[in-house]
Amino acid sequence: MKPPADKGSLALGACVYAVLAFIIVPLVIVIPMSFGQNDYLAFPPSGFTLKWYAEYFDSRQWRAATWLSLQVAFLTAICASVIGTAATYAMVRGRSRLVTLFQVLLIGPIIVPHIAIAVGLYLFFQTIGLSGTIPGFVLAHTVLTLPFVVFTMAAALGKVDANLEAAAMSCGATRFAAFRYVTLPLILPSLASGALFAFIISFDEPVVSFFLSGVRQKTLPRRMFEDIEQNLTPIIPAIATLLIVLSIAILLGAHALRSRSKTP
Amino acid sequence: MNIASARQAVSGASIRISRLEKRFGAVSAVDGVDIDIAAGEFIALLGPSGSGKTTILMSVAGFEFPTSGSIHVDSEDLTYVPSNKRNLGMVFQNYTLFPHMSILDNVAFPLKMRGLEKAERHARAEAALETVRLGGYGKRRPNELSGGQQQRVALARAIVYRPRVLLMDEPLSALDKNLREDMQLEIKRLHAELGITVIFVTHDQSEALTMADRIAVLKDGRIQQIGPARELYERPANLFTAGFIGEMNFVDVTVERATDAVAVRLPWGETWSLPASAVVEPVRAGESAVLAVRPERLQFGAGTAPVVKVTLSDIVYAGSALLLIGRLADGTEMRARIAGASDVGHLAPGDIASFSVPMEALLLYRGRD
Repeated sequence: MKPPADKGSLALGACVYAVLAFIIVPLVIVIPMSFGQNDYLAFPPSGFTLKWYAEYFDSRQWRAATWLSLQVAFLTAICASVIGTAATYAMVRGRSRLVTLFQVLLIGPIIVPHIAIAVGLYLFFQTIGLSGTIPGFVLAHTVLTLPFVVFTMAAALGKVDANLEAAAMSCGATRFAAFRYVTLPLILPSLASGALFAFIISFDEPVVSFFLSGVRQKTLPRRMFEDIEQNLTPIIPAIATLLIVLSIAILLGAHALRSRSKTP
Repeated sequence: MNIASARQAVSGASIRISRLEKRFGAVSAVDGVDIDIAAGEFIALLGPSGSGKTTILMSVAGFEFPTSGSIHVDSEDLTYVPSNKRNLGMVFQNYTLFPHMSILDNVAFPLKMRGLEKAERHARAEAALETVRLGGYGKRRPNELSGGQQQRVALARAIVYRPRVLLMDEPLSALDKNLREDMQLEIKRLHAELGITVIFVTHDQSEALTMADRIAVLKDGRIQQIGPARELYERPANLFTAGFIGEMNFVDVTVERATDAVAVRLPWGETWSLPASAVVEPVRAGESAVLAVRPERLQFGAGTAPVVKVTLSDIVYAGSALLLIGRLADGTEMRARIAGASDVGHLAPGDIASFSVPMEALLLYRGRD
């Protein structure tokens, strides 16, 4: 016999499904549109074609934007995970009284509106000539993605017994060797998952890229916004679909890494 | 490489800790500690938490640097040498095995840090595992071993590079009682086999008494007494040690006479003349003092020695011993521990029992402030 469903749990269920629907419906609309034959955005799409995908892969402009974004995202992932891990290590293991200050500063980019960071960086980078360059994009995206790495690494480092490094040092390991042979292997799955998050956030970051992109150096999101303003063809849903597939692949990868780290 | 040759190669180092002080802000964790440890000696640092015993060990290990004072191992000054350059073996409280490495790689880690070839370090790690009776466990992971086994692996890792000093920070406190006793014997055996100098931190007095050649009793960062178990138990140097090591009865008394034979007045008005051996701390006439006696030294029934009368409140039969708990006329609690086979069937709570107090069992300390 099933217990009678009360109104509260029904309402809760409805809310849960509504939330899920709002998350999933845009995907359900975008993916079919990318295969539509019309030259404009239409839903439901008519016919089936892969020409928008072909157009994307054939266009040198699109390819250049994608390549730039991939380079920036890759370098950002490396910078953010190295700096983020080092900073988090200092935060979790350090005895300094400045730890709280560092914590606030590192997590700041989540709280400060991206537009504020973007405008600031724009003026600054213009002056020092970093605007529209790969180092410029990487620096800016590293700032934006650091908080995500810091959160991931704080959780991971918190689970590693600090005495393990002391034990390694009593075995004759230098401070660095203790980190390299003991702590690093233990946090590596989380480190990789943090790097993947940094990659994906950098890869589709529009606001800062909008300000920093030059005439020739445009990231993929910047190029997409340009296309939306000028043409708005189904090439946008086609690229969006590709991004969704990439994101899902990366998230699954990160998930696999994290579940591996739970079973040493 | 076999174990026999490993044994010959290893011998202990002497350690000299001089005027060691460690302050954390305004707090003195260690306050002027001197300990001389002979080569091959097994010494226990015993004290309640906050007594500074772990800070002393961490200073020897190199994880804490003292505010002042020095630490010498075999006349080499190690006071400010980093921990990884000290070549001392260390066993921590919570095993601290590296969870991502096999048991063999864990034990071989110190050898890897010393640049040994893989084949040799694995051979020596396997030999060390055999020393702690875990031969053949090398392929397993730390989480596949019991707590006791993990601590033995930690022990193997600490001795694999044949350090001359082994430091242990409450290594058995995470184990259950039976395992703890096994490990106590295991560590004793290793100490005898390797001839290594051991500093062993514990808050468990029976562990310290059974394992160590000498015990340093610590309180508030100072050494209260240092000596072999028997000395600590039979002639505690002060009231703290007297109360900390084993069970002790304390009776507040007043000193009647301090010259010649010391005489004290007991709470119920009697005056006892004490033998010179009873006076542990010097006292002055007119001052208050504390008379101490171990529960097992009280003899049931009136005899030739002075007698105390105790109103019994509890009679606890514990097999080998019988514990009688009661109060003196002035309310001071008194415990007596007599042989379990004693015929005391007629005693019941509320009865007054007489105990003779052998004069040589009495200890006199300065009064509590």
